[in-house]
Amino acid sequence: MTASACTRCQTALEDGDLRCAICALPVPAPDAAARPGDGAPRARILRCRECGAAIAFSPAARAPHCGFCGATMAIEQPVDPVEAAQRRVLFAVDRVAAEAALRGWLGSRGWFAPRALAGDAVFESLTPLSWAAWLVNAEARVAWTADSDAGAQRSAWAPHAGEASLAFRDIVVPASRGLREVEARLLIPYYDLNRMVRIDRDVDGELPEAVPGAVPGAAPGALPGAMIERFDAQRSAARRHVQERIAALARVRIEPRIPGRRYRNVHVACLLERQTTERIALPAWILAYRFRGQPYRAIVHGQRAEVVFGRSPVDWTKVGWLVAMLATAAAAAVALWLALR
Amino acid sequence: MAGSSADLALPGAMFSCGTCGAGLAFAGVRSETCPYCASPSVVERPPDPGRPQPELVVAFTGDAALARRQLERWLGSRTWFADARIKRARVEDLRGVYVPAYLYSAVAHTGYTASIGEQYTEIETRETTDPEGHKRTEVRTVTRTEYRPLSGHHVGYVTDLMVSASAGLTDAELAAIEPYDYLHLRRYSPALISGWIAEEFSRDPDDCRRASREAAVDDVGLRLRRFMPGDGHSDLAWRTSVTWESLAPVLVPVWVLAVRYRADRRPLRVVINGQTGAIAGKVPLAGWKIALAVLIAAGIAAAIAWLWHGGAP
Repeated sequence: MTASACTRCQTALEDGDLRCAICALPVPAPDAAARPGDGAPRARILRCRECGAAIAFSPAARAPHCGFCGATMAIEQPVDPVEAAQRRVLFAVDRVAAEAALRGWLGSRGWFAPRALAGDAVFESLTPLSWAAWLVNAEARVAWTADSDAGAQRSAWAPHAGEASLAFRDIVVPASRGLREVEARLLIPYYDLNRMVRIDRDVDGELPEAVPGAVPGAAPGALPGAMIERFDAQRSAARRHVQERIAALARVRIEPRIPGRRYRNVHVACLLERQTTERIALPAWILAYRFRGQPYRAIVHGQRAEVVFGRSPVDWTKVGWLVAMLATAAAAAVALWLALR
Repeated sequence: MAGSSADLALPGAMFSCGTCGAGLAFAGVRSETCPYCASPSVVERPPDPGRPQPELVVAFTGDAALARRQLERWLGSRTWFADARIKRARVEDLRGVYVPAYLYSAVAHTGYTASIGEQYTEIETRETTDPEGHKRTEVRTVTRTEYRPLSGHHVGYVTDLMVSASAGLTDAELAAIEPYDYLHLRRYSPALISGWIAEEFSRDPDDCRRASREAAVDDVGLRLRRFMPGDGHSDLAWRTSVTWESLAPVLVPVWVLAVRYRADRRPLRVVINGQTGAIAGKVPLAGWKIALAVLIAAGIAAAIAWLWHGGAP
């Protein structure tokens, strides 16, 4: 995918980039003669098929019509290249282990969970999913400011500033629409990124049990039965998301460089350079289950069965009893206080 | 860069507005009125090969009917003091124009100095005497600020600063309907703007670069204010050097309604962002309505005063 690098920040450019996603330097137009194939649907033209004009477009009607002659126009919408993962992390938890992990998790939901949860929960589906993420490497010049107790005088804080060059390696940034950000963040720290293979490579014995029935979206040649999530976030928008993540990481990486023992108000300014982004897929088991008719979802890490989290029902009768007991205790305490006063 | 070749030149015949000076390309017409000032004194002239050609385009989103509805709503919501003639303006005169602009980006290195305010509290004790002559000791906590000097560097890219290259639309007017979503930029090709009015790049690129650089320094100033630690700061001073400047010629979509509502006045102009629908424009006020309102207010005030004094003359 990578075509060249931005001359200003050395970030890898990809086919179809008009500007560098990091520093916004425009990418020179490719030489028309060198343009690959030109069979690719990259032209984006509003054009009337009848008279060649380009006037009226009715999004409501979906089909645009020429304001001059009413004929249907051919719209070539701007389409970011459809992106797919290049590599995937292998599953290390099979269906049996995932089910056992979920039963264990359902049985340890605490006092507020219904007593019958582990036994009465009906598993509707347990799907192996390879969810979409970006694997980012970048370098950055980081300027920072902060308050710390080093050099403090009358105030407990003194201002400090500095600069550092930081390298960011194998930063995983969620790109999933299916998983919520908070769910992805819980999974990421437990992935072994050394266990990555090409997206279309089958690994013997990885998941011997294919999921019953066809799974929509499964890529040909990929893990049998596992759904590979598509990158439906726009490429250009995605890299802005990556930048924000790196700035947040830079803030954490700067903290040990701040003099003193306590600090606050940490601000960073990053000049990102040489960023490369790889699209990867990370394994997880997604459980959809019902308890007394209500749907819930839980997730098991695809490599570490002990990492399980999700939503579970609450026994509101128990909650009601607790509230009633607390209210009774409070009322008794007030009555006692009034009697003794 | 794209655009130097003849096949990427603005399509259509080139016209010059005799009133506001805008250079415009109209496709498929032989006579026109200026979309910026509604002047009919638009004359055809040969294309100027020395003008910069666009490299990127932000395309129109939605149609003219949608823009007209937005404009009607906007005109209808103007104040009662607005000149009625502008409210009666024909929204059919709304014209879609690809306005030339430059997108500026650069690397900004900044050295700064500032006084950083760090707050601390002190226990203050003071003796007071009450009206009976008893002495009392008051203890209170006072928050004070200690200022400490700080100097350092700030780095970052300055991106997506837009400056108008139009003779018809000023920077202020364009800024009033920004931002555009540059995620939907497309590389310029004449077919992309076929059928629309497109203005050619009229302002000197060096002027635009200077204006962009000033805007970049202002932008760095805003970032620096957020970058300062402490509970407050003062005396912030900075010196910014920009490197790796880039000035990309871009066409942005604008719906323009130019209304000549009085022969002795400059035309009213309402501009609408052709991508987001943001509207900006100044509506002239009707002097007689303001005078009438002042008279009514004065009359009411006089009546209240008269009643207050018991109706005596």
